[in-house]
Amino acid sequence: MLRYIASRAGTGLFLLLALSVLIFIMLRLTPGDPIDAYINPTIPIGAADLAALRERLGLDQPLPVQYFAWLAAALSGDFGYSIQRGGVPVLPLVLSRVGPTVLLMFTAIAISIVVGVSAGIISAVRKNKASDVGLSIVSFLGVSSPAFLTGLLGLYAFSVLLRWFPSGGMLTPGRPYSSLDLLYHLILPATLLSIAQGALIMRYMRGSLLEVLSQDYVRTARAKGVREFWVVVKHAVRNALLPVITLIGSTIGGAIGGAIFIESVFNWPGMGLLMINAVTSRDYSVIMCATLLTGASVILVNLLTDIAYAAVDPRIRNA
Amino acid sequence: MIGRTLGRTLAVAGLALASTALVALPAIAQSEEKTIVGGFDVGPGGFQGNFNPLTATAGFTWLNTYYEPLVTYTADLSRLKGELAGEYTASDDLTTFTFKLADAVWHDGEPFTSADVKYTFDLAMNPESGSIFAARLADVVSVETPDEKTAVVTLKGPNGGFLSTITQLMMLPEHELASKPAAELAQSDWWSTTPVGTGPFKFVQYASDQFVELEAFDDYRDGRPQVDKLINRYFANPAAAVAALRAGEIQFTYAEADDAQSFEDAEGFTVIPGDSFVLNYIGFNHRTELWNDVRVRQAVMHAIDRDTIIETLYNGAAKKAECNYVAPQYVPDDLIDYSYDPEKARTLLAEAGWEEINGGQELPWLTYYNSPQVANIMAAVQAMLADVGVNVAPRVVDVPTYNGIVRGDDVSQFPLVYAGAGNGPNPAQHNINLNSEQVPPNGNNIMHISLPELDTALASAMSEADPSQMDARWQEVCRVVNEQMPWGSMWVASRYGIASDSLEDFVWTPAPGGGPFEMNPEAWDIEP
Repeated sequence: MLRYIASRAGTGLFLLLALSVLIFIMLRLTPGDPIDAYINPTIPIGAADLAALRERLGLDQPLPVQYFAWLAAALSGDFGYSIQRGGVPVLPLVLSRVGPTVLLMFTAIAISIVVGVSAGIISAVRKNKASDVGLSIVSFLGVSSPAFLTGLLGLYAFSVLLRWFPSGGMLTPGRPYSSLDLLYHLILPATLLSIAQGALIMRYMRGSLLEVLSQDYVRTARAKGVREFWVVVKHAVRNALLPVITLIGSTIGGAIGGAIFIESVFNWPGMGLLMINAVTSRDYSVIMCATLLTGASVILVNLLTDIAYAAVDPRIRNA
Repeated sequence: MIGRTLGRTLAVAGLALASTALVALPAIAQSEEKTIVGGFDVGPGGFQGNFNPLTATAGFTWLNTYYEPLVTYTADLSRLKGELAGEYTASDDLTTFTFKLADAVWHDGEPFTSADVKYTFDLAMNPESGSIFAARLADVVSVETPDEKTAVVTLKGPNGGFLSTITQLMMLPEHELASKPAAELAQSDWWSTTPVGTGPFKFVQYASDQFVELEAFDDYRDGRPQVDKLINRYFANPAAAVAALRAGEIQFTYAEADDAQSFEDAEGFTVIPGDSFVLNYIGFNHRTELWNDVRVRQAVMHAIDRDTIIETLYNGAAKKAECNYVAPQYVPDDLIDYSYDPEKARTLLAEAGWEEINGGQELPWLTYYNSPQVANIMAAVQAMLADVGVNVAPRVVDVPTYNGIVRGDDVSQFPLVYAGAGNGPNPAQHNINLNSEQVPPNGNNIMHISLPELDTALASAMSEADPSQMDARWQEVCRVVNEQMPWGSMWVASRYGIASDSLEDFVWTPAPGGGPFEMNPEAWDIEP
């Protein structure tokens, strides 16, 4: 088993190294470098000043030299400084953005599960009635609305017109931290982020519950005189939830994609906003670190899954 | 039954969310401190996330609330005046500048002295510090400090643009920074955590990508600011800042022309228009042979109906440019009038032999402008040029891609560009774009313009030491540009800020790079 784990970990490390080379090359193939991103084209700055900046940042060195210098530093835990943020160390910067993204994503997922499952149950139980038709229309709209669209519309409606929620940010500037303030800023982006996933969960829940409700054991329960409430809650919903749980797991990737848009629309200081800013400003060191951190998480999760599979099925580790 | 129960539960949850907003809003809004929140780094004059004034290409509106330069522009950008230099004089030959310093103190209580001036110049001229002033201050021979309140800067030769350059040179505290090596300073977190300036506000904190908070500096030499806090909120784009302004969360932001128009009749807001001081031009790549004949360049000018574009696509909020300047003191009366005349354009193209030079072949037309307004303008110009036989295909890229392409060697990617060049308030700014000596790596003449007559006119204006002759020298530059059209001068558009009427004594103008200019933030106030 130990040999198997070592082998999988070795593969993971190799993948991480390959990923770093790939990102490094792709970044250098992208037109423009951090200094090009730094210059406002309308401001007259001489090429000599720009060349001096490139030299100071080592951007004038051959690519292999730049890569191995980065790798050597990264292996010792030094991911360098953000080029565009005047000396902010990259690793703490990237790590500081994990929390806000996780908070936003998990709040959105929680809202989408509660609302999606509940609406799915209502829709299935009231099949073909007005509430079912209404919820179905809403869910279709939700499923087919991309996050950036719901984000912008929600911002306009609830922040600009109604002024119920703030238009962006995570905390009110200039006020001491409070959980209430955080919640106040969190509700709107999290709710908007939950729409697409909640609508999908609702569709699955409805379909799954309708199928279960037509099963023999449900009919038997009704025939025994069990009240409809308990028939649904105790007998049907639990079974209907199984495919929905699988769906929730597989749509978390989509939620991450949506979070990037929502973070951008609401200026939510998470990984998405950081990545977008880093890419548009060609902040190489931040892009490298953030992408590698994401890649390492995926590789680690896969490694743990492989180990778990191997633990329960000896055929896998011997294969 | 079950549906109804769940429906009620959802309704209760919805009410709870709405009530959170209603409860949270007043609780959070309560504050006794006077605070102005604005999007001070939104738009082309802003530079979100940059805290180091030595590496700033823009963002001076905000930087100038806690740092100060020796001299600054007046709010209408028409002339210079002293800021940290209470008085200043220039020698007749414009080579020696003497600054008498104001009785200012740093935010930590230390006095501001001539040693700080010398230290700042030395640091700014040292490329190791990451300074982008090094080349522009290359003609500084010495900075002397005869006493604590006097600094004398000597230049190699006359430089009429020197004072304008140092308006963006924010003074830095020697006692705070001198112990740090210049190379380390470029990566120091001092700038974004504990900076010390002499401005009316003191730095409190930077919440990454969210906002920067300043507080009133009690010992400011012109009196304590009227408000307790000044906050610069960050936004992904101007539209997001406008949404926050409409929502009442901020009191000021820069706005795109379309948004500004929507505020014209809005109650509670004031639209602040101003010159962009950016000349939009059609840049001819002189490294190709397409534009060698001046008649081709002039034909492009005659092919474009600039009056109609300004009237319809800018709603009149732009000034037509017949040369590289629009400021009246730099524009002589006897310029060639490039009025819309497609027939003349066709004739000029035929005389120059455009059919043989390029014919109907499509030319990429590169730009970094990605607003809907510019997309419409470029589409209109594309149609007008096609009408006379010049076929162009607009290509929009982001700023780093644009800079990467135009500073590269693949000229086939940019035979033509649509771009902007700062053209004021200092007229000398264009030397770095138009002089053949300023072709990279020396300067910013990315279109490789090389016209001897223009070089002579620029050199003459740059070295003019007699203030009474300066305008005439720059008029000569304008005249040569008008005749030769090294680039197709189009227009200078207006830019806008929008301020809430709750602000009092608020001064702002859409200065290039955000200024600096005399905005007196210590006088800004807000209605309770």
